[in-house]
Amino acid sequence: MDLALTDSQEMLKASVRSFMAREAPKDVIVGLERAESGLVPELWQKACELGWLGMLVPEEYGGGGASLSDTAVLYEELGRGPLPGPFFSSGVLGALVLLEAGTAAQRSELLPTVARGERILTVAVTDPNASWGPHGVTCVPQLRADGFRLTGTKPFVADATSVTDIVVAARTGDAPTDVSLFLVNTRAAGVSTRRLPGFLSWHDEVALEGAPAILLGDAPDRGWAALERALLRALPVLCSYMVGGCQAVYEMSVSHSQTRVQFGVPVGKFQRVQDHIIRLVNHLDSARWTTSEALWKLDTGRPAAASVHMAKAVASEAYLEACNAAHEVHAGIGSANEYGLVAHTQMSRTVFHYLGDPRWHKRRMADALEW
Amino acid sequence: MDFEVTYSEEQQRFRAEVRAWLTEHVAPDITRTPTSPEDNYRRYQQLRALGRELGAKGWLFSRAPVTYGGGGLDVDHAIILEEEIDRFDLTLPPYYDSGGRLGAASILVWGTEEQKRAFLPPIYTGAVRTWQLLTEPSAGSDLAGVRMTALRDGDHYVLNGQKIFVGSDNGADRIWLIACTDPNGRRHENVSWFMIDADLPGIEVQPMQLMGTGGEGGADSGVKNTVFFDDVRVPAFSLIGGENNGWKVASTHLELEHGAGGRIGRNRMWERLLRYCQETKRDGMPLVQHQEVRDGLADVYINGEIQRLFGLRNFWLVYSKRPRSYEGPQLSYHRKMTGLWMTGAILDAVGPAALTTDPTWGSAGGFLELQQRNGIVAVHPGGTADVQRVSMSRRIGIGRAAAEQAGRVQ
Repeated sequence: MDLALTDSQEMLKASVRSFMAREAPKDVIVGLERAESGLVPELWQKACELGWLGMLVPEEYGGGGASLSDTAVLYEELGRGPLPGPFFSSGVLGALVLLEAGTAAQRSELLPTVARGERILTVAVTDPNASWGPHGVTCVPQLRADGFRLTGTKPFVADATSVTDIVVAARTGDAPTDVSLFLVNTRAAGVSTRRLPGFLSWHDEVALEGAPAILLGDAPDRGWAALERALLRALPVLCSYMVGGCQAVYEMSVSHSQTRVQFGVPVGKFQRVQDHIIRLVNHLDSARWTTSEALWKLDTGRPAAASVHMAKAVASEAYLEACNAAHEVHAGIGSANEYGLVAHTQMSRTVFHYLGDPRWHKRRMADALEW
Repeated sequence: MDFEVTYSEEQQRFRAEVRAWLTEHVAPDITRTPTSPEDNYRRYQQLRALGRELGAKGWLFSRAPVTYGGGGLDVDHAIILEEEIDRFDLTLPPYYDSGGRLGAASILVWGTEEQKRAFLPPIYTGAVRTWQLLTEPSAGSDLAGVRMTALRDGDHYVLNGQKIFVGSDNGADRIWLIACTDPNGRRHENVSWFMIDADLPGIEVQPMQLMGTGGEGGADSGVKNTVFFDDVRVPAFSLIGGENNGWKVASTHLELEHGAGGRIGRNRMWERLLRYCQETKRDGMPLVQHQEVRDGLADVYINGEIQRLFGLRNFWLVYSKRPRSYEGPQLSYHRKMTGLWMTGAILDAVGPAALTTDPTWGSAGGFLELQQRNGIVAVHPGGTADVQRVSMSRRIGIGRAAAEQAGRVQ
């Protein structure tokens, strides 16, 4: 038993943290708030050069072949920003979906470009008014002489305004899981994306109007199973991003409790204020340890489905509640965009439902435990 | 990271040896629910006998130093012992005892060599069962405000006062306590820590009538008592860690009691609850198949898992000698609040069957009914949930420049 990071993980953590301090300090992240895309080109370029987008991609496809636990170290640090941009969408979920769903030829052609960050992916699953389950996929492709075409609207697609290609789930059969995955180039005719306005962090709308689509894999109806396999491994990395967010708002809150003076004393002297931070750190640690154990189970080949679903449920709730608690600690200044807490609050709401909300994952957990 | 202890061949052999020994020595009826006070006492004697047999092998307190009667085993062997005794629904020690893990741990840190040789072997070999006496009617969360006095008289101290919420069923052989040795002294610098015999003249024990009254078993203490001291003379040798230094001595066991030691083991409550919900029907369908029950159980399960992970983390922190901060009281706080919350969650899932011990309408052995009471009672012992939050705040350094250090445990 050893619950510490390895030496190389500690080194990675330190290097990402210094990168973030240099390239993505608070004002950069706050400045992005109204941008159509969360991707900062110069920063993205440097991240590509560091191999971050290919970290999880196997070495045979030009990636780093890292473990999920190693990759999670990177994402926890990115989550401290919270740094937006299609890091998770492309480097984790997109890459894993290609790996699971693509033919050998597709993997060889596409994965090296994803690993280099030249091709940027996201995955569009849900159709309007749908849950995260397979029956939520209703968009039906048309097969024409020159290939598949897709028509329909996918709301709440992560980072769609930042990517070059979208993996789109579409219905190809009558059974609930008869779903196929298609690759759609965002520059093709009939594809448009727009950032949804409001309190949502770059989860965008994708509109398809006869968009040309390439089937991933060599047969239809296998997309859902591939997506599930990819999600099982991708979700805990997303959880690590949320853990990083929780950690950042925790540190922010402790620091504020020590420096903000009211009634002549630091506000952290008041037990009411202390209680908010205790609630926050309990959520932080719940998310951290459920996530770490899920990553460990996956990396060591243990059955992990229940742990993964639990981690997503716990981390989603934790990030949201951590931000709530931080707002109670900070009061007025916490709602000033420039302070930096709001970016987390908005992100915590956005990822709360992303790839399944807590209730969804708790029910999947119960199923996985075969109650 | 590695969440699992890996075992060498030698350790696997040790596991086989332990399992064979326990199979031979643990009576099958030892975990029964006692049928009467007499049966409760008989069962306690069986558990004590098992404790002495374990003690003779060094397995009762396996990590304690051999010099003082412990097993001198490393953490991996200790885990094997814990896991194997857990298979028999027992703990180490197999009865309520504040001697080894808390009292002896404090003596190891603060006692003189002579005191260690005198006090530790009887504890580690299972010859004595020990109670802790901390709380008083006017000193609960404010433990430093104890009023019981221990005043020096030649080679002795004379003890007068009253302690409450003490011990268990079936009495004790030894007790440890803190008392005020300087009534005019400064707070935290006027208390001392003693380890004494429980049968001295002037000590009187009276059971308290409380809402949690399950019989003694495993780590559950069953009954709590009031203990009166009327001019009780104890040798000065009983004083551990020096006069007026008791608050520092107490920091060791308070740290351990507040969850620093961590825990690895099964969640029996969960296993029994799930089984109950699988076997009990409502409207013709097992409870566990009702979506609202399933949702409630998912939250109970998750809180149990978080509890397990916090315990595992604390266990690892202590035994890998890593710096600790707020983790001990966090585990304690989480356990207390989860237990309290679960009383509502289980009542919601199961209904009034959770409230009765009736063999027809209640749960097996009334385990759910016991949780309904104990989940509430457990909020206060070993520092209330609020006290745990105060400790966490100090350790984190909320609102203060310097964070408080965790207590010494080794």
